[in-house]
Amino acid sequence: MLRVVFWVNTVAVNLWNADNFQRPVAGVVVVVLLGAWTAYVLHACADAARRTPVLLGLDLAVAVAALVSSPLLKGEGFQATVPGFWVAGPLLALAVRYGVRGGLLAGAVLAGTDLLVRAEVSQGNYGNVFLLLIGGPVVGYMADSLRRMAAERDRAQREAAAEAERVRLGRAVHDGVLQVLALVQRRGAELGGEGAELGRLAGEQEAALRRLIQAQDAVGPEDRTGIADLTTALAALGSSRVSVATPGAPVELAAHAVEELVAVVRACLDNVRTHVGADAPAWVLLEDVGDRVAISVRDEGPGIPAGRLDQAVAQGRLGVSQSICGRVADLGGSAELSTGAFGTEWEVVVPRGPRVGP
Amino acid sequence: MRETPAAPASDPAVSEAAAPASAEPAPVRVMVVDDHPMWRDAVERDLAAAGFDVVGVAADGRQALARFPACRPQVLVLDLQIPEPNGVAVTAEVLRHDPSARVLILSASGEQGDVLEAVKAGATGYLVKSASREELIDAVRRVAAGDTVFTAGLAGLVLGEFRRLADPGAGPEDPGHPELTERETEVLKMVAKGMSYKQIAERLVLSHRTVQNHVQNTLRKLQMHNRVELTRWAIERGLDGD
Repeated sequence: MLRVVFWVNTVAVNLWNADNFQRPVAGVVVVVLLGAWTAYVLHACADAARRTPVLLGLDLAVAVAALVSSPLLKGEGFQATVPGFWVAGPLLALAVRYGVRGGLLAGAVLAGTDLLVRAEVSQGNYGNVFLLLIGGPVVGYMADSLRRMAAERDRAQREAAAEAERVRLGRAVHDGVLQVLALVQRRGAELGGEGAELGRLAGEQEAALRRLIQAQDAVGPEDRTGIADLTTALAALGSSRVSVATPGAPVELAAHAVEELVAVVRACLDNVRTHVGADAPAWVLLEDVGDRVAISVRDEGPGIPAGRLDQAVAQGRLGVSQSICGRVADLGGSAELSTGAFGTEWEVVVPRGPRVGP
Repeated sequence: MRETPAAPASDPAVSEAAAPASAEPAPVRVMVVDDHPMWRDAVERDLAAAGFDVVGVAADGRQALARFPACRPQVLVLDLQIPEPNGVAVTAEVLRHDPSARVLILSASGEQGDVLEAVKAGATGYLVKSASREELIDAVRRVAAGDTVFTAGLAGLVLGEFRRLADPGAGPEDPGHPELTERETEVLKMVAKGMSYKQIAERLVLSHRTVQNHVQNTLRKLQMHNRVELTRWAIERGLDGD
């Protein structure tokens, strides 16, 4: 398309300056030949397979030949060459195809020819030559960059596809392993004795693998620093005795806040282990309530006797207050304890802070 | 969240699911779908031993859909991770064929998104495979009776889903999103905290049945919303030909 514009321009400029020609008929022939060549190149370049070095070389040669024809057609003291801006076509083609080097080479050849065929060099000629020398490499450089970006994008797409496939395969394998572990756990418990021990081990491994898969699923493509997902972090605390319920979707908070909240939940769960029993079940619930995040840790133990915590503080034991209330207060939230015959429940609410993400 | 001062003690009409448990029951017809032969056999054996009538088994989604019409099970015990079509698709298709059937999801991996999808497609029970034999049998029995079997984890997911639907900032514009009443949210939260229906009933001074109905309503709202969404999606794409 650009070539056609260049050619039309060449025709127009030459018509305008028709009386400068010493050999008008030959001039018409050259311009028509340029037109024919333009049409042929356009046709040939439509197919990438035909964009061979030979074709592009011929293209350049035609441009050079047209330049060389100028003094023959117009006499020694001509102003504009016959092809004029048309030579930019082959130059750009080479630059696009062979990058900086192609552009530089074509620019140098055309500029050299242009200078050689002229009797004298004016300011305007110099400007045009300079443009040729600069334009070739610049366009070549841009073409190189585009190609590199396209290649990188293709590679990234291929990698993403391969990664998705790995995840899918991994999931199938993991699922099979989980099935077997769950089955061993179930049958083991029914067999009793050593079977029960095996079953317990299988159960632990199953829970560990399940957590691993969930954590892996939660890893997003981009890892923004300073932000962590509370859902994944809390899910990792789940075990055969600790049930963790989450909203499923990531709950993103500052990494520091996530660390502190995990520590708080851990402290609550430790309390359950010490005061209720090593095998006592516990339930963790994470809720994402818009601008706040609520976490509840519940057990069905005997509860904490009234005044027990204050007593502990008075005695200088800061365990619970420090590790739970202190941390939560630092995050600007509140921790409430309800306890009774039904068990003990900690309710922790912290503000979410500035919304992160898109 | 809408205000519902003094939640009604008697529940909005939810009668269809409340099957009378009095008459000497015929054994519940169950179908087991699992691609893992060991599991399929184990579940089948346990259910048969507990007095259920295992009318069919299937190893993948295609078999399940092919055998379902002939077996006419009341309860489908379904693994989510089966060869195509997957558990979610099987759930939807089976319930389209026979809306009175019940689907209990028995899942090995913690594929939370899939579990939620299956529940939206109409499954009324969810159990992890590490659950004991007694828990499985109890779950099948309750699901057959029209009850919903929730784990704390599933309740958390459902809560999260309702919050997401209600959050105007997230996801596409959704004017008709379902909302939970305050009481339903309260009950669901308690389920998510691992409390049994009985404990919830005691704490809130409600009947066991009422608690169950609240839980069922939350699921029903989610399923209804899902159906509306699917229909809207189909119409948008011009798939509502038949």
